Amino acid sequence: MKFLRQVATVAAKDLRAELRTKEAINASLAFALMILLLFSYTFDPEQEMMRQISGGLLWIVFAFAGTLTLNRSFARELPNDCLDALIAAPIPGSALFLGKCCASFVLVLAVELVSLPVFGIFYRVHWTGQFPWLFLILLLGTWALTIIGTIFSALTVNIKLREVMLPMLTYPILMPALMSAMRLTTSLVNGQPIPDDDFAWLKMLIGFDVVFTAVSLALIETVLVG
Amino acid sequence: MLNSLFDASVWTSLAAATVAAISSILFLRSRNFLYDSLALAVTEIGLILLAAGIVAGAIAGRLTGHLWWTWDARLTTALVGFLIYAPYLMLRRAVEEPTRRAASAAVVSIFALFDLPIMALAIYWWLARRTAPAPIGVEWTILPVAALGAALAWIRFRKEQDRRSQDAERRTAQEI
Repeated sequence: MKFLRQVATVAAKDLRAELRTKEAINASLAFALMILLLFSYTFDPEQEMMRQISGGLLWIVFAFAGTLTLNRSFARELPNDCLDALIAAPIPGSALFLGKCCASFVLVLAVELVSLPVFGIFYRVHWTGQFPWLFLILLLGTWALTIIGTIFSALTVNIKLREVMLPMLTYPILMPALMSAMRLTTSLVNGQPIPDDDFAWLKMLIGFDVVFTAVSLALIETVLVG
Repeated sequence: MLNSLFDASVWTSLAAATVAAISSILFLRSRNFLYDSLALAVTEIGLILLAAGIVAGAIAGRLTGHLWWTWDARLTTALVGFLIYAPYLMLRRAVEEPTRRAASAAVVSIFALFDLPIMALAIYWWLARRTAPAPIGVEWTILPVAALGAALAWIRFRKEQDRRSQDAERRTAQEI
């Protein structure tokens, strides 16, 4: 119970800071809309092919825009040595990490929920038909993105090449989760239920979340303290 | 022949990844830099062998099917494995403080090993619909390739140890 309160405190602090400055969410949102627009020059939005690749496109947008938010997650604490104070605070490293994860999760999810209707309007996909399932996939996929992104954000926060290293580390590790999310989203944004064959992908996505949440929590003290 | 060389390099680098993750865990527990050197040596050599294996696999594809890259599950898995481990070396270059560098690299190595089976399964599922993927075979070529890998890793490990002891001596000399 105490642990959960500590997590909530860190998450609330991060969200409050973000809502006041809006430094990450504005950039992330603008970037997401920009890529969505750019896709229309690459693919003909009227074509049937658009439906087959829609899930992949959406998750590319989410993953790229998400990294912008995740990059700020720990980098925000660098001025005034806030990071040292946070690490020295009387809370376990895992509470700090989960708090930061929850804050980033909310921000990334907000960007996704704004881009989704825009995507639907631009490319004429009927994403509302299976919304509860789609929302579940969004939750699971975004959690995978935030957990991997946050731990590598903590790992790279003190190095010079931070902005370069974070995507380099995140995307290859994240690939299985992105593949499942893309596969599952493709049928859902076209208003069809998940095909029976694809439930294995859902299990993989859940498994990915569980495994990497556990590994991250086990290693977070090493990441933070060195 | 080329295909079996590819298989052998995949198995060898998989063994290298396992050794790297185990020595990373040992480093984190004992803080003995010997394990860090070992993890660095096997990861580097594993990556080199894997790169050579991917090239061999692509050439084999070109010779048999006249296509360099056919997105078959084995080659794609090997390539993604390469991409997972390449940032390990880049991260090591980017971090200057030795303990911090070793600990960060160890964390990446452990994450990468957990990711490998999930990634391989995902790619297998993804591509299984198009072509039935051939399993990665075990042939006689695995012996020379594994021996070569072990020898190179040993040389790299010794070199890294030498470099570190020289560094330590230089630092002591400066202090005096």
